[in-house]
Amino acid sequence: MSEKLLVLDNIRMSFGAIEALKGISFSIGKGEVVALLGDNGAGKSTLVKIISGGQKATSGRMIFEGQEYQANTPAEAKAAGIETVYQDLSLCTNVDVVGNFFMGREITRKIAGIPFLDERAMEEITGKALANAGTRIPSLRGKVEHLSGGQRQAIELNRFVHWGGKLILLDEPFAALGVEQTRRGLEMIRHVANQGIGVVIITHIMQQAFQVADRIVVIRQGVVAGDVECSKTNADAVIGMITGQTLAGAGAASN
Amino acid sequence: MSPRTRKILEFLLNNLVWLMLVVVLALFSALIPNYFQLGIFANIIEASSVLGVMSIGLAIVIITGHMDLSVESVAALSAMAVSILFCSAGIGLGYKLSPEWLMVPVSLAVACAIGALIGFLNGVLVVKLKMSAFIITLASFIWVRGLVLAVSGGRSAQDLAPAIRWFAVERLFGIPLSAWIAIACFLIFSIMMTKTPFGRHLIMIGGNETAAFRAGIPVKRNLIIAFIMAGAIAGLAGWLLSVRTSGATANLGVGLLFNAFAAVVIGGVSLKGGVGALPGVYAGVLLLSAINTAINLMGLPATYTQVIHGLLVLAAVLLDTFKQRLHQRLA
Ligand SMILES: Nc1ncnc2c1ncn2[C@@H]1O[C@H](COP(=O)(O)OP(=O)(O)OP(=O)(O)O)[C@@H](O)[C@H]1O
Ligand SMILES: [Mg+2]
Repeated sequence: MSEKLLVLDNIRMSFGAIEALKGISFSIGKGEVVALLGDNGAGKSTLVKIISGGQKATSGRMIFEGQEYQANTPAEAKAAGIETVYQDLSLCTNVDVVGNFFMGREITRKIAGIPFLDERAMEEITGKALANAGTRIPSLRGKVEHLSGGQRQAIELNRFVHWGGKLILLDEPFAALGVEQTRRGLEMIRHVANQGIGVVIITHIMQQAFQVADRIVVIRQGVVAGDVECSKTNADAVIGMITGQTLAGAGAASN
Repeated sequence: MSPRTRKILEFLLNNLVWLMLVVVLALFSALIPNYFQLGIFANIIEASSVLGVMSIGLAIVIITGHMDLSVESVAALSAMAVSILFCSAGIGLGYKLSPEWLMVPVSLAVACAIGALIGFLNGVLVVKLKMSAFIITLASFIWVRGLVLAVSGGRSAQDLAPAIRWFAVERLFGIPLSAWIAIACFLIFSIMMTKTPFGRHLIMIGGNETAAFRAGIPVKRNLIIAFIMAGAIAGLAGWLLSVRTSGATANLGVGLLFNAFAAVVIGGVSLKGGVGALPGVYAGVLLLSAINTAINLMGLPATYTQVIHGLLVLAAVLLDTFKQRLHQRLA
């Protein structure tokens, strides 16, 4: 198996009396695509937020590139090389496309020591990145509030491809995308993984998981209910794990 | 609706205040005798300097999705502090510095530092303790005004040092330097909001705080800085106020908050945050100032001014709601 990029060790998360995660342990290798599956409310998004610095786990350990890792803010996770596309869209609709593409990492030019936005450079890069992904957006200078759900998701998706990093977390990234955009999105994921970047993708569509993932991890009611290589399982077995018909732990991956 | 009509409509909506300003000025010039003189226009600009500066800070905080009701009291406290230090009559202590011009930067620093400190307090309480900005700054509005009353004992200071007064007396192109300071502030902070990453981040925080946080923007730090800025700018407004009136009274600037609020909202800043630009706010300030001048010229009793201002605030909020709704339909 490929070199470990991120190891999750007994991650627990409680919201008051609700225990959303009850000791999650699995790992992601470099250049590996892991599909994270599970029913609504299983705890997938919560896990993503813990890795990406949005929430702090109640207990547990994470090892990233061989070192103890904990992100207190998304900024720290980004600095470590972890990019995230969240389930609920994370765009500022009151700002234009270019502004959103570069949110938090604007290109600047210093004049008298003061950083000024380099709008032209940012617009050029945004235009290229979106064109490469085949996303058509009427105006890069138009506010995002005028865009369709799919166009918005495309911006987020292309953001991560552009910025790269070491590990990418995608929380239902294709939910609003059309057929062609989804196909390109899946291609993009393979392309990114081939560069040695680890990818975790959450989806409810079994077909997508099998199409793109190397491994499938199933979370059920806050515990890992399955961790199998794609080539060694099939959709029916995975559905069984998701719904709980297969015994927990059945088909666990060999480490 | 075609994209083009939509664009034009949006453009009009976003710049409505300039249109209103032109219409109001034209109307007054036509209807009120003696309104159309260059002197009066200079007067409108001059009278709007304190309100203008104060509105900048308020606008910045509202654009980030929060609220600062304390700006008026902060301005009063700064004005009182400057006046107590550098006035020679009343409760003024009449400190002298040599060379005399040194009093300008020192008084400015005192005024802005007081404002920044109160802004910092507001910011920390709102951002770190997650309390409602409305309540926190309402409390500051009250206790800071109380402090003004306490330090002044209800009395006033007069005869500000001439070196500082100079800014209200000296004119450039017929407009006093104090008004140029306001115009310069609008320029500087407009550039900050539109051309620098910091300003861009404030607008983003106002639009979607979660998204900004997830994008790695230090939301809390930036918000606290915005409150500090609003405070310091209010302090500068207070400095201008003492310069214009050559001193300070305990009830100096009462009612400015609502005018600032009206100017900000009329100027196109949305109360829901994330929307608005400072040039529009300046137009809003000029609009209010033009109306005030008209009221004065027509010889209406001052009591009416308050009624009209109240109605203006109401109209401004109605306009904001109306615009939001229209925007939604256009989107
Ligand atoms: N901030 C929170 N406060 C309280 N409970 C929460 C919070 N966030 C998540 N939960 C709870 O934690 C559990 C897991 O939620 P999570 O969003 O991780 O599910 P999910 O697997 O992503 O589901 P979906 O497929 O619907 O997106 C749910 O029971 C949810 O109600
Ligand atoms: Mg989810």
